Formats: sequence, C-alpha cells, structure tokens
Amino acid sequence: MHSPSTDFRQDRPTAIVLLLPLIFVLSGTLIRFLAFRYAEPDTEWTQYFDALCRWDCTWYIRMAETGYDTFPVPSRVSAGNWAFFPFYPILVGLIGKLIPLPTIVLASLLSIATAYAAVIVAWPLLGRNIRAYTLYAAFVLSGPLSFYFTTFFTEVMFVLLTTLVFRFLGRSDYLGAAASAALLSGTRIVGVFASLSIGVKALMDYRQDKGTWRGIVGGLLGQPKLVLAIFISPLGFFTYAAFLNYWIGDGLAFSHTQRAWGRQIANPATYLWEGLVNWPNGGALLSNSQILALAAVTGLVITGVLAWRKQWPAVVFCLFCIIIPLAAGLASMLRFMAGMAPITITAATILGKNRVIFAISLIGLIIGAWFVTLAWLGGNVALV
Amino acid sequence: MRLSDRSPLTLGAYALAAILALFELAVLWQALHPNVSADYRAYYIDRTTTCLPQPVTGEYVLGTELNFRSEGDETRELRPCGWTGPAGDGTHSVGETSRLRFAVDAQGPLTLMLELTGVTLPGPAQQRVLISANGHDIGEIAVTPDKAERFVISIPASALDDDGFVDLKFDYPDAISPGKRVSNTYWRSIKLTTASLSPA
Repeated sequence: MHSPSTDFRQDRPTAIVLLLPLIFVLSGTLIRFLAFRYAEPDTEWTQYFDALCRWDCTWYIRMAETGYDTFPVPSRVSAGNWAFFPFYPILVGLIGKLIPLPTIVLASLLSIATAYAAVIVAWPLLGRNIRAYTLYAAFVLSGPLSFYFTTFFTEVMFVLLTTLVFRFLGRSDYLGAAASAALLSGTRIVGVFASLSIGVKALMDYRQDKGTWRGIVGGLLGQPKLVLAIFISPLGFFTYAAFLNYWIGDGLAFSHTQRAWGRQIANPATYLWEGLVNWPNGGALLSNSQILALAAVTGLVITGVLAWRKQWPAVVFCLFCIIIPLAAGLASMLRFMAGMAPITITAATILGKNRVIFAISLIGLIIGAWFVTLAWLGGNVALV
Repeated sequence: MRLSDRSPLTLGAYALAAILALFELAVLWQALHPNVSADYRAYYIDRTTTCLPQPVTGEYVLGTELNFRSEGDETRELRPCGWTGPAGDGTHSVGETSRLRFAVDAQGPLTLMLELTGVTLPGPAQQRVLISANGHDIGEIAVTPDKAERFVISIPASALDDDGFVDLKFDYPDAISPGKRVSNTYWRSIKLTTASLSPA
C-alpha cells in the first residue's frame, strides 16, 4: 500500500481511472448473471439479485426493512440480529424510504456504486500504478469474490471506509480519518480498530517530526485535532452500544448474541492449525477449513509485507481484524480477508509489478469469477 | 491548531473531545452493567444455560398423547427451548437443557409420559435425564441410544403452581458434543417421540 501524494492534484482521478472500473462493473455483472442463468436455468431472470443474496445477506435485508430485533426475538430464536452492525443496513433502509425499489435490488445497486467508489478512492494507495489499479478494480468488481461487494453485505462499505481512513491518514489528516473511522466502527465490529491506526500514525508523525520519543505525551495531547480525532473515531461503535443499551438493556448484545451461533473463543493459532490440517474427503483439492485457514494465512503474510514496509497503522489494523475474528473460529474468514482493503490493495501492488504475473492474475480473476459465483450459488460453505 | 494557541477553536475542540469522552465512558459503564432479564443473563452473559425460553402458549388438552415426529402433531407452542426439528425420528434435544411447557389448570397430581430415544453419537452407553417440574425435581431416567422407551413420571400436587402452567425442564449431564470445539448450545442427548400429561 502506497501513501497518497502530499499534492491533492496528483491524486485526482483521471478519465482512465474513472472509466476503467466501469468496464469491470459491466464484465462482473455479466459473468455473475450468466453464472446465475447457468446454475438456475428455471429461475426467472428478474430473480438475479435475490439469487445472489445468500447467508448473512438475508439478515441485512430484514434489518433494512424492519430494523433491530426486540428481546425476546419475535421469530422465537436465540440469534438476535444485534450481531450485525447498523451503518450499511440503515443506509439502505433510509434510501429505501426515498426510492421505492425492492430492498435487494436497491442494496445491490448501492453496493455496486459503493464498490466503484472504493476502487477509485484506492487509486493513490495503489501507487497510481495502472496495472495494480486494474487488478484491484477487477478483483472488487469482477473477481471471484465480487458477489460480496455487489449484493448486500457490509464488506463493500467496510472497504470504502477503510480506504478512506488510510487515504486521510496518509496525509496525517486525523480528523478526516476519524470521521471515516467513526462510520467504519458502525459498519463492522472490527472497524473500531481503525482508532488504533490513527493513534499509531500520530506516534509515527511525532517521532518523524521531533526525531525523538521524548515529550510524546504532551506533544500528542497538545494537538487538539488529534485528541478530538481519537474520540470521534470509535463513535459509531459507542453509538451502536448506546442504542443496544436503550433497545434491549445490553450494550454488548452484539457480542453476547454470538452464543446463539455457537462461536467458541479459543487460541487463534489452534483454529488456524486445525483448519490447515483438516484434509478433504472425496477427492477435493482443499477442504473448506483449509480454504478458510489459507485465506487467514494469506492475510497474515501480506500483513507481514506491510510490517516489512513499516506501514504500522495498517499493520495494527490488519492484525486486529484477522486475529480477533480468528479467535472465534475460521467461519467467514475468506469474506473477511476479501474485505480487508490494506491487504487486497497490497496484493494488487505486488501482483501488478510484473507484466506477465499481472496478465495471469487478471485472467485468473476473470475466469475465477465464473467458477466461484457458481460455488456461491451452490451454497459452498467456505464462502459464507 | 495547537494547545498553546488558546483560540476559541482550540478550546472548542478540547471541549468537544471531553464531551465525546464522557459519552463514551457513560456508554461503556452502561454496557458493563446490563439491565436484562434473568433468562437473558443466564443464556447470553453468564452462559449458565443453553436453553433460552421463548414465549409459547403451551396450549394443550390434558391427557392428549402428542406425536413429536415430523409427521406428527404441531408442538411448537409446547417447546420454549432446547429442541430442534421435528425430524422423522422425533424432536431432538439440542444443548444441555430442554424445556416443555403445558398450559393446564390441574389441581391434583399428574402423570407425565415420555417416549424417548438416546442419540447414536459416540459417547456414554446411556443418557441420564434429570427432570423437574416448575423447579421441583421429579425424577431421573436413563435413555438408551437407538432404543425407544416409554417412561412414566409422577408429578406431585406440591410441584404444581397456580399460574396455569406446568414447566418441565430436562437436564442432560451426559450430553454429547457432535464434534471438536462445538459449543454446548449444539450438544445432543435425546430424541422425544411421544409425550402426554394426564391426571394421576
């Protein structure tokens, strides 16, 4: 991941930067639509958006339409939808009050627009390198996991806001980063860790500016913008906790309700190892557990690359966003890694360095979209 | 903008930061002191039970024998928690506790009949089931895997409340985890195929 330029004008998107992702919007939509027609030939084509809406997507639809569960949960189950953070479903719900479209159609269109914006915003972080940018745009909009970013999951908003946090941080704009982080912390539980990235960046800036750690506490507290940013950045998280306090009397209900999903807290390394050695039965190349564990390992390796490049704010963010969910098991790890902008952006910059690797990666992403979308439609649990 | 500026903007920024800090501390304090029901606390926070009772009517005609298989009677309104299914071989217990609720206005003692089978997962030879009615212990039975048996348990009049319900609780000290690192909310013990509650 590169730093944005100190000169705003250099980071301004050019026509090619604006147009290129549109090609992938079209190709991605076409591939996913054809995969849907191939997998479900008897389903009406108008059901395309509904067909791609699986697993947690259906929870988000209900949240956008009817809001949060009361307690006891009206459907008489233990799993309350308090586990899901509110920002993106609420946004869809509010827009749905203005635009009378079916929720899944509206959410899918909004997700595509958000994904497009996330790609454009990432341009400076990709080193303004057209090959890295092409790969990143292809991955988000037309890649094997593009259905996460183009149906109704919070990942797409998480990617956009994370990218904004690191763009602002690249210019040491703490308040801009804090405003993005505040929304991020209301989008997914791990979004709150962007606050730590702001703190780490402030420490790095102080050290770079003064050349010493001496007087750091006074030096940091003497920056009103930074102090304000530190308290703004987790505001989404605290606002949601305040709502839960009011709504059901438990501000930590988002965590407590995980019990209904049977999540067991354990050593993340143990989960990782058990996943890696869970060999497949029946001739498959990899088991679902191995796919999920490898996704986490890939995330950790790229976090190592970020550490090697001394990009500590991103390292702290990535480590928390990998380790904390991993402590509750491997579930959804592929989706979580796909939604980690610092990791996927860094991967795109690495793969975009060499022309041949770039070409192979691009073709792999496009072809992969077909097969993985079919697996998604087939209910493959590694993709949950 | 620095602290040394002492401009209205600087002071305003610190004031706003202080307000936000107080708000966040207040929310944190509230979150650490939840104001929830005993059932909520036991299931989600203390994790002392795997069975979170859901509101059910318990509608039941005294003496009726109910079939808990998938092709049998509609029994959702009798099952507050701790059950999954029904399936073809009965309604399976899930977790370490299950509950049944019967809305009956009985004055005298009752007889509970249960037809049960133990799950066939690798584990103990028998599944012990500790049964209580309205919080009073009424018996312990042992259920064998893959073998349907009928059990008859007496519920004394002293175990009955005047709220119009008989709340039965089944605890499974030998419940079996169906896999490695599976939460106890998913452990298995028995399958319920038939039940009735009759005047003694």
